[in-house]
Amino acid sequence: MASLPARLGALLAGGLALPLAGLFAAPPAANAAPPIVIGTTISETGALATDGLYEIKGIKAGVAEANLHGGWLGRKIVLKYYDDKSSPGTAVRLYQRLVTLDKVNLLVGPYSSLVTIAIAPLINKYKMATLEPGASVPSIYVPGNKWNLMNTADSTTYLHQLLPLAKQHGARTAALLGLESAYSLACYHARVAQAKQLGLKIVYRTTYTLQTDFSSIALAIKHANPDVVLECAYYPDSVNLVRALHEQGFAPKFLGETVGPVEAAYVQALGPLANRVFGNTGWWFNFKTPGNKTFIAAYTRMFHQQPDYHAAAGYTAIQVLGAAVQATHSLDQAKIRHWIVTHTVQSIQGPIHDNANGRTTGAVQDMVQIQNGVLKLVAPAELAQAPVLFPYTGH
Amino acid sequence: MRRRRARRAGTARREGASEVGTLALQLLVNGILLGGLYVLVAQSLNLIFGVMGVVNLAHGSIIALAGLFTYWFSMRTGLSPLLVLPLALAGGAAAGAAGQRLLIEPVMQAGAKAGLLSLIVTFGLSYVLIELALQVFGSDFVSVPYLQSSWKLGALAFGKALVVAGAFAAVMSALLYWWLNRTYSGKALLAASQSPTGALSCGIDVARVRLIAFGIGVGLAAAAGVLVIVIMPVAPQTASDLTLLAFVIIALGGLGDYLGVAAAALLLGIAQSVAGYYLGGNAEYVLPYVLLLVVMLAGPGRFRRLG
Repeated sequence: MASLPARLGALLAGGLALPLAGLFAAPPAANAAPPIVIGTTISETGALATDGLYEIKGIKAGVAEANLHGGWLGRKIVLKYYDDKSSPGTAVRLYQRLVTLDKVNLLVGPYSSLVTIAIAPLINKYKMATLEPGASVPSIYVPGNKWNLMNTADSTTYLHQLLPLAKQHGARTAALLGLESAYSLACYHARVAQAKQLGLKIVYRTTYTLQTDFSSIALAIKHANPDVVLECAYYPDSVNLVRALHEQGFAPKFLGETVGPVEAAYVQALGPLANRVFGNTGWWFNFKTPGNKTFIAAYTRMFHQQPDYHAAAGYTAIQVLGAAVQATHSLDQAKIRHWIVTHTVQSIQGPIHDNANGRTTGAVQDMVQIQNGVLKLVAPAELAQAPVLFPYTGH
Repeated sequence: MRRRRARRAGTARREGASEVGTLALQLLVNGILLGGLYVLVAQSLNLIFGVMGVVNLAHGSIIALAGLFTYWFSMRTGLSPLLVLPLALAGGAAAGAAGQRLLIEPVMQAGAKAGLLSLIVTFGLSYVLIELALQVFGSDFVSVPYLQSSWKLGALAFGKALVVAGAFAAVMSALLYWWLNRTYSGKALLAASQSPTGALSCGIDVARVRLIAFGIGVGLAAAAGVLVIVIMPVAPQTASDLTLLAFVIIALGGLGDYLGVAAAALLLGIAQSVAGYYLGGNAEYVLPYVLLLVVMLAGPGRFRRLG
């Protein structure tokens, strides 16, 4: 969080600067080619804001980087976005506005599968080739939604390395939890199936609606005494579960929570309780992918923070869109879509290839672990920065 | 041989019974602690409604704003977030009194429309406060890592943060109850809530009473924010959830009924604790709203004050 006086100052200054800026702004050059406008909405506020903000920053970094190299088709790129407040209904209204009133040239999807599912009918009605950096549920990418184009690993691969790893180290029982949300349920069902396949006994499983009290769930987990606790969740409930487990005096040997641990706020909120918790990521700092170092440098310079994989997915969406626009020399939606589903783009996340339904194939989420307050990539083995540490101690 | 087997079976039965007893007690403890958090969140809203008949829709925004300030203070200074409590109480009370005089009191003069107008004013105020919090603190969920462990009493665990929040809520509720029922100024407050005209005719300065009630209510809401940020992650957008939660609790307990609200909060906490354990998280989440519907159908008289 930036300093309070600085934010207050900016808030006050903003009130004066905006009207004055209008007075002194230079008129647009008459002969300049009109910019290519990319429209999107993002969860700037609401329950999904923590991850959504990373994603929009990644998109901004991608646009800035593209403009640094002259834009696309000799035209500057402008990003137009609105806050959908993490609300599917609001997002539908805003995408309608982006397409019909703002008449943007290209679209990038919102953050989260939940919001994407809501806007999918609209995207397909207007036949806009829409890159989806934040929608990882595979069931979105079906023939009826052919204009939604995924550019990230799907949510059934979230924490897919944890249960095999735990079993390898002697774990026999597991507790599995999933938030009632599109992505987390896809992850939850995939991990339940995986646990059964591995022969791990599921001693506790539940899905839950976003809530603040986890004491009962934590107590039930304690009594089931599993070796592994794996939660498919968002940041706030990830924090609440860890605290509740600690309060009830239970520490499983392995504790994994999908997207929460990769956020800087997670370690800040939990302190030592975060140590040795596993999380997943679709991108990492040490990936030897084309443009990765440029992305990290640009993002850090622009936002004075380190990126996470949501930011990388946002940046990738711009990379894929840019590749398609420049290869087809066109803003024609059908040409762009066709190019994307028939080509592989070497992105900062790795190769992105969509099948005919727009689902990214071959990409998987990797696994990180918090070790003494620092996130370390621990799987896959060939990219691991550090060996896995266990058991989870809760301090 | 048979006797030994019977003895072993008896021991197993006793151990099983003791385990069940411990579980029941732990569920009770968790429920009471959760109820304590609910009292903390709801009681200040109840005071404002009970005395003034004002439905303060900015209630959750005040809690969230105070919580976010506490986070900023604690992270910046490294000091205990609980040090913000007196500041939140005093600052919140002063800001609440000022807000009441500038925004609420003028619409209280609108006669029959006062209730509706105050609803609109506090609704607008809630958005202003949320936007202010977004601009100043950002939209990230944050929480202070403080009092994260639990105190142990035998096999029972008492989450420290919830115990502190519950104790604070209990003390504040008791003080509020004592003040309202045992002191002249408190009785004047109650009199003004029951009949403003009657209170006026007895020489009570009703406008001043409303100012005090709103100030205290906002001060308590701000103090609740200081404790909530230690218990769970909060973001500006959490405000509406907190307001809704507080409304459900005071509706269950009886609008303006301080003891009723405290009892409802505790019972709701216990019911949710048991439901969450045996039926899972979804049942725990939906329970307050199911209970609200049941109470509304069974005893609509409890809602007479809404009219």
